[in-house]
Amino acid sequence: MKLNVYELIGENCLTMGDGQKVYDLIHPELSADRFVELDFTKVGVFASPFFNVAIGQLLRDIKSEDLNRLLKVSNMTSAGLAVLRRVIENSKRYYSDEKTRKAVDEILLEKVENL
Amino acid sequence: MKITLSIPTINDRPDDFDMLFSLWSQINSDSLDVTFDFSRCGFLRHNAVAFLGGLAHLIESRSGNATFNWNTLQNNILTNLGQNGFLAAFKHGGGPWTGNSIPYREDKILDKNSMMDYLKVKWLGRGWVHVSELLQNAIAGRVWEIYTNAFEHAKSPIGVFSCGQHYPRRKELQLTVVDFGVGIPSNVRLFFRDDPRAESLSAANCLKWAFQRGTTTKPNGTGRGMGLDLLKEFVKVNKGKLEIFSHKGYAMVDEKQEIFMNRETSFEGTLINITLICDESYYRLASEAGEELIF
Repeated sequence: MKLNVYELIGENCLTMGDGQKVYDLIHPELSADRFVELDFTKVGVFASPFFNVAIGQLLRDIKSEDLNRLLKVSNMTSAGLAVLRRVIENSKRYYSDEKTRKAVDEILLEKVENL
Repeated sequence: MKITLSIPTINDRPDDFDMLFSLWSQINSDSLDVTFDFSRCGFLRHNAVAFLGGLAHLIESRSGNATFNWNTLQNNILTNLGQNGFLAAFKHGGGPWTGNSIPYREDKILDKNSMMDYLKVKWLGRGWVHVSELLQNAIAGRVWEIYTNAFEHAKSPIGVFSCGQHYPRRKELQLTVVDFGVGIPSNVRLFFRDDPRAESLSAANCLKWAFQRGTTTKPNGTGRGMGLDLLKEFVKVNKGKLEIFSHKGYAMVDEKQEIFMNRETSFEGTLINITLICDESYYRLASEAGEELIF
């Protein structure tokens, strides 16, 4: 499957709602082990809420190695890719497992107390 | 009850923000009849314009009445308020028109296309920032994070207020975004509500937590809290400045330092002031390769 993101969302990929539209289309394909290409030609502006929902939450139930094999991101600007990388790094840490998630929240509270 | 708020000269030093928050603290009850008097005012910076606009709407949202006594304004300030669209927003004359002002703006909902037009055309597209479209898009995306944070977290009953200014001599572009919601410290304490330590977290520490990578107060982690972290990184790299006031907390980030402190005055909402240097040589985007594995 090849998805033209500009045709679906437009030139600004910013909101969680827009991200959900993309997620809803690609998650079933990826879950079925089918290849997906996200083509970002003509998309100019990116923000983290969009990526968190469109791509970050894929890591909740699909492994990184499978996403590297099945999902291709093409024609994205360098600024967009920088945000996407940060979102993926963050989501990987968060979705790694329930135990880590709870530990992260606990550590965060301890850290903020000691700031 | 009738109140007259005497608006002094307001710049953007810390005591100017104290003055704004003091004005806010005077209108914290319902059904007030408030007159804004500018007899003592010699200058209003854009942060004050955004804040006063929000204040008027806050009064009206509490079944009160807000009246600007336009006759008390000096002509230069009146002209500036016409240029930035403040007068038109409050049904007093025309405007906005093109100048060094970045228009006053009120948003009750977050409309991405309208907001992108504001950021890309009225803020960045006026020819005073000579940057490529690629970089313009990058800046617009980062600043969008401010608005999305305000709408997702602040629960502001009256929306979000913005105003900006181009300062040619300082080569600066500034934008203030203010909401009258619950404030960042309140959200952080609520997030940790199951822990008895949460209540004692200082406002400054709450702001510091909010700036850390990967923190979010959204349930289930769907927001993942990238906005402030990305914004911080961007202003540091590009020699800009980011200031946040929320409750008693104050955060200031620039190229050289990050300051988090508690102040004497408090404002229940959140005010963000971002400064960008309008000289393309200051900007750089990290170069990105395209072919390596991203997950």
